[in-house]
Amino acid sequence: MFFYYIKLALLSYRRNPVLSSLMVLAIAVGIGAFMVVYTLTYIMGGDPIPQKSDQLYHIQFDYGDPAISAFEPPPQLTYRDAMAMLEAPFDYPRTATSRFSEAIEPPSRNIAPFFANGRGALSDFFTMFDVPFLYGGPWGAESDSNGEQVVVLSRDMNDRLFGGENSVGKNLDLGGLVFTIVGVLDEWQPIPKFYDLNNGQFNVSEEVYVPWHLIASQELRRSGNTNCWAPPEGDDFQAFLNAECAWIQYWVQLPDQNAFNEYQSFLNSYVEEQRAFGRMRVPVDKRLFNVIEWMEEQEALPNEIKVLTVLAGLLLAVCLLNTVGLLLAKFLGKSAELGVRQALGANKSSLMIQHTIETGVLGTIGGLLGLGFAVLGMEGVKILLSGDIPLDWLGIDMTMAMTTVGLAIISGVFAGLYPIWRTSRINPAIHLKTQ
Amino acid sequence: MEFGPILRSLLRNKTGALLIALQIMVTLTVIVNAIYIIQERSQHMTKPSGLDEANITHILSIGYGESFNAEATTDNDLRVLRGMTGVADATVINAIPVSSSGSSNGYMVEPGRLELAVMAAQYRSDDHAISTMGLELIAGENFSPNEIVRHEPGTARTDTSVIVTRAMAEALYPDDAAETTIGRIFYAADDTALQIKGIVERLQVPWPSADFAENSVIYPEIELDGGNYYLVRHEPGYRDENLPRVEETLAAQNDTRVLRENQTFEQTRTITFIPDNAMTSILSIVVSILMFITGLGIVGLAVFTINRRRRQIGTRRALGAGHIQILRYFLVENFVISTVGVIFGAIMTVALNMFLVNNFDLAPLQWYFVPAGMAVLLVLGQLAVVGPAWRASRMSPATATRNI
Amino acid sequence: MLQMTNIGKTFLTGQVQTKALDQINLEVDEGEFVTITGPSGCGKTTFLNIAGLLENATAGQYLLDGEDVSRLGDRQRAKLRNQKIGFIFQSFNLMPDLNLFDNVDVPLRYRGLGRGERHQRIEEALTNVGLWSRRKHLPAQLSGGQQQRVAIARALAGSPRFLLADEPTGNLDSKTAAGVMSLLHEINAKGTTIIMVTHDPVLAQNSRRNIDILDGQIRDDARRNTAAVA
Ligand SMILES: Nc1ncnc2c1ncn2[C@@H]1O[C@H](COP(=O)(O)OP(=O)(O)O)[C@@H](O)[C@H]1O
Ligand SMILES: [Mg+2]
Repeated sequence: MFFYYIKLALLSYRRNPVLSSLMVLAIAVGIGAFMVVYTLTYIMGGDPIPQKSDQLYHIQFDYGDPAISAFEPPPQLTYRDAMAMLEAPFDYPRTATSRFSEAIEPPSRNIAPFFANGRGALSDFFTMFDVPFLYGGPWGAESDSNGEQVVVLSRDMNDRLFGGENSVGKNLDLGGLVFTIVGVLDEWQPIPKFYDLNNGQFNVSEEVYVPWHLIASQELRRSGNTNCWAPPEGDDFQAFLNAECAWIQYWVQLPDQNAFNEYQSFLNSYVEEQRAFGRMRVPVDKRLFNVIEWMEEQEALPNEIKVLTVLAGLLLAVCLLNTVGLLLAKFLGKSAELGVRQALGANKSSLMIQHTIETGVLGTIGGLLGLGFAVLGMEGVKILLSGDIPLDWLGIDMTMAMTTVGLAIISGVFAGLYPIWRTSRINPAIHLKTQ
Repeated sequence: MEFGPILRSLLRNKTGALLIALQIMVTLTVIVNAIYIIQERSQHMTKPSGLDEANITHILSIGYGESFNAEATTDNDLRVLRGMTGVADATVINAIPVSSSGSSNGYMVEPGRLELAVMAAQYRSDDHAISTMGLELIAGENFSPNEIVRHEPGTARTDTSVIVTRAMAEALYPDDAAETTIGRIFYAADDTALQIKGIVERLQVPWPSADFAENSVIYPEIELDGGNYYLVRHEPGYRDENLPRVEETLAAQNDTRVLRENQTFEQTRTITFIPDNAMTSILSIVVSILMFITGLGIVGLAVFTINRRRRQIGTRRALGAGHIQILRYFLVENFVISTVGVIFGAIMTVALNMFLVNNFDLAPLQWYFVPAGMAVLLVLGQLAVVGPAWRASRMSPATATRNI
Repeated sequence: MLQMTNIGKTFLTGQVQTKALDQINLEVDEGEFVTITGPSGCGKTTFLNIAGLLENATAGQYLLDGEDVSRLGDRQRAKLRNQKIGFIFQSFNLMPDLNLFDNVDVPLRYRGLGRGERHQRIEEALTNVGLWSRRKHLPAQLSGGQQQRVAIARALAGSPRFLLADEPTGNLDSKTAAGVMSLLHEINAKGTTIIMVTHDPVLAQNSRRNIDILDGQIRDDARRNTAAVA
């Protein structure tokens, strides 16, 4: 019976090809456009580390000077507070982390020296964020405290410098210092780059990773946002480190509610203590943010995308209204025939099933076409955005493809509800009288 | 005009008309807001930087290693660049306007009054800055060569004279004409005293969407931290030819450095505006799709209702309606529906705009966008319906007597 | 008032030619009541359409009130239909979305009459057919006979001199049909020329003049002196 109805639906398409094609086109365009924008939201605003996003917390302090009007506490930590956090008596995995940029003298003379984007981090960084390794592994905690010159390379950097071979144990000349390679990462590009939302949330992951303390001890060239609310008391590097300048991201992994409570009360008392020194005078609502909360707080999903989502939703609404109108036209156009059928004893519910399946078929065709539009649209978006940001991660995966077609079918059936209800209410008597 | 009967007939067939009106309402809402955003972004993107954009390129040089001598390299690079054929002038600077990276600071007319701070971009360059960028000096003087400070990182900065933009002068001294502020002293956030030596008409900050887009302060200072942006202004016609030569020339001077970002100002602009460009393109596509879909919807429904009313139209023709009267019937009908749609659409447009303003830091809509959008959709409706209506008006009056 | 000479009508459907009317010669005077009969498909409706300026003949000459109407443009033909001719259709052809008042109003609007005059004429016409009290009703809320009376009111409201009816009683039962017929005769008695296509042999026999058509040609043009019962 189901296939019989499908056949009827296809026949009905053939009987009204223009009207039917208009409906399919409306569904396809609406769904296609909506899915392009929705995919952007889904990828850019999605949970980048779903298995742990509720355990990883970023710290925010009550930074700023109340005298400066409209000053919002910056989202990073000062060196002084980052060091205090590291010295806190907890065993929870944690890391201070920040960016730098240093010249690499490649081992091969064929490659000219270049600047690489680097990240200072503690060894916990790699385990906390489930960073995948191709060769070797993270450096040990003792390398952090001893300030050892060890380095982890990204896969791309290893390809570039060593042609992709296992380079663990080799040396690397970075910023005029010699580092020992302890690990090579596999592809790792969280979208968004949740662990550092301050420096381009869609930027490429860093290419080299070194123990974070080296940034201060070796005065590596820091890069990335720095936000000061009081001038340093001096002009040298040490004065900068002591200054009210925030430039460090700080993450801690708190496995459960107890840990969270414990850590939170520690933070609260730390802030109280600092207040006594005249610091931290711009109160914040919250000091611990998990990954999702942090992404919201930092508006990781660009406003543009949110505006587009609203507009694309309305576009879909127009397309559906359009479909409702055309379906109504189509079904009411058949009402004489339906009237006669009912007069001849046709069962109302079987007519309704027939029409529902017909709208489902229209939705399916529209969805497949819409999927095509969405794929094209996504390519278009890539062209539009192509610049220095890598865009391999932009694309429609299987889930999105299924969602597209599913949404189209639901839309088709949904758009059909009212027209079907209307046709089911046709009074055969009236209809036979007024032709 | 048979306005009354058309209206009454419409009220009997509410649903179809309502659907079209709803569609027009939502379409108006989306296109007006989208076009407004497009327009706002385009203003951003076309805002003049104050630079002689067509002839300027820049390159970033970063030195490394113990042997790198920042001061000697800078002096030598500038001398070589300025001597190149087809180069009008060259300078060293800490940040490139419109490039989206640079540094900003707060400035006050009284020391220590952070709450009065005016935000501005800080540019550090030499006495060739004005001539290289092609800025217009409207008051005061340019820096003299011996005024240029060479600043070693980690050493203290001293009070100095600066050149500011007109916008900056007006922001600091709102009650005075910019030209009259020459010689006045204001303060950086660290209380360094700065004396206004010259005023340029315009120089954009590195961040085009900043709300202090034209507040810039130029310091007579070369920062010797190893990283230099060189800005080069080429003689007209030489830019493209010189672009690769700039990099080759600098590379030949010194090999303990890395050269990056050798690009024209136009490229810098393009890169900075990738998101805005993407946004306006996507929105333009959304607007076109919407107009197309709504237009098609109106055509589809018009064709359908006209087919359904064939006999009625034939009867009207038999009763003495001419082509024009049939045509007019459908045009008026559509006009009535569209008018209802755009009126409610106008309300919804403003509502959506208020929502966007409150949630996504958009500026509120200028009022004239709404009537303009309404007019566009009314015309779109008429255009969409005129084809089917024309065909209807050509229908033979004999349709009334034939049983179709 | 109506004069046809050698009127012919050929339909072209793809490659097939249908000769619906052939060599029709006919004269109808002011005030006549003419019935037209013939088997289905013989060309009655086509004749009526040509007479009522709904269609153009493909051959011959047609004079209406002495004016050659074969070559008039659409605008003039619409105007003539509107002012001189009234139509009554077998299936009533009322506008389903308009109430009775607005339905009768349709031809008056096209004539461009003022509001007052239109109102007066509509009231007169609807009162004449006994439906003024139901002027706010929709056609679907009326019986077939009532609908046809509205159609007659609509035809009469413009006070045409010439009324064309295509099987006006074809969809009605005999009692209702008789009512409609007497209405038509009343109208005729007041001077309106009527041409009516009918299938009903009784109606045809009772009419003063009956034209019988077969295969697009006039087979018989019979005039009688017996007036129909009013
Ligand atoms: N529009 C048309 N196209 C082609 N043939 C037509 C058309 N209208 C009528 N005819 C043909 O002309 C002939 C006369 O039709 P008609 O005048 O409607 O007959 P009647 O009204 O006497 O039943 C028929 O054979 C019919 O098929
Ligand atoms: Mg007939």
